[in-house]
Amino acid sequence: MAEPVENPAPQPVARAEGNPLAAIALALLVPGLGHVYLKRWQRGLAFLLLILASLAIGCMLGGNLYRPEGGQPLSYLATAGAMGVGLPYFILRYALEYSGDVMGAGYEYGSAFLLTAGLMNWLLVLDAWDIVRGKKE
Amino acid sequence: MLSHFLLMVLYALLVSLFFTLLWRRERKEQVKLFLQLFLGMVGGGLLVAWLMYPFPSGPPAPIP
Repeated sequence: MAEPVENPAPQPVARAEGNPLAAIALALLVPGLGHVYLKRWQRGLAFLLLILASLAIGCMLGGNLYRPEGGQPLSYLATAGAMGVGLPYFILRYALEYSGDVMGAGYEYGSAFLLTAGLMNWLLVLDAWDIVRGKKE
Repeated sequence: MLSHFLLMVLYALLVSLFFTLLWRRERKEQVKLFLQLFLGMVGGGLLVAWLMYPFPSGPPAPIP
C-alpha cells in the first residue's frame, strides 16, 4: 500500500503593514508604487522599470494606446487593460496627446507592448492586495 | 536596427522578468523560472514560425 503523500498547508505569511486601500490605490496610480508603499522597495522599483520600459518601447514603435470606440465592444476591454498602467496612460493620452501610428510598421508590436504594460500593472495591483492581506510575502 | 525576431526576444525578456519577480522569491527558483518562461516563449515563437514556413508570405514590411 502506498504511503500517503505529504501535502503541507502553505505557511501563513505575516501581514504587511499598511492600509489596504492605500496600497491598491498607489499600485493603480503608478506601477510599483503599491509595493514600495508596502516596503518592497526592490521589487517595486524593478516592476516600475519593467513597465516603463514596456511603455517606452510601445510608444517608440507607434503602438495603439487603446481607447473606447463606438460599435467595437472589444475596444472597451482593451482600454480597461491599457488603463491598468495608471497615471502614465492618462499622461500619454491627454498631456502628450499620444495616438500611435496606425500606418507604422511597428504598430501591432507597439500595441502589444502598451497593452501588456497595462495588464502587468493589473497583476501588480492584485499582488499588492495579496501582500497586504498576508497571502504573499 | 529592430527586427521581428529582436522585438519578440525583447517582449519575451520583459514578460519573463516580470513573472519571475512576481511569482518567485528565491534566486535559484527565479533563475529556473526565468529560463523556462524565456526559452519557452522564444522557442515557441520559433516553432510556430517554422510550422508556418510552408505558407505563402506577403510583401515584407519594414520595421522602423
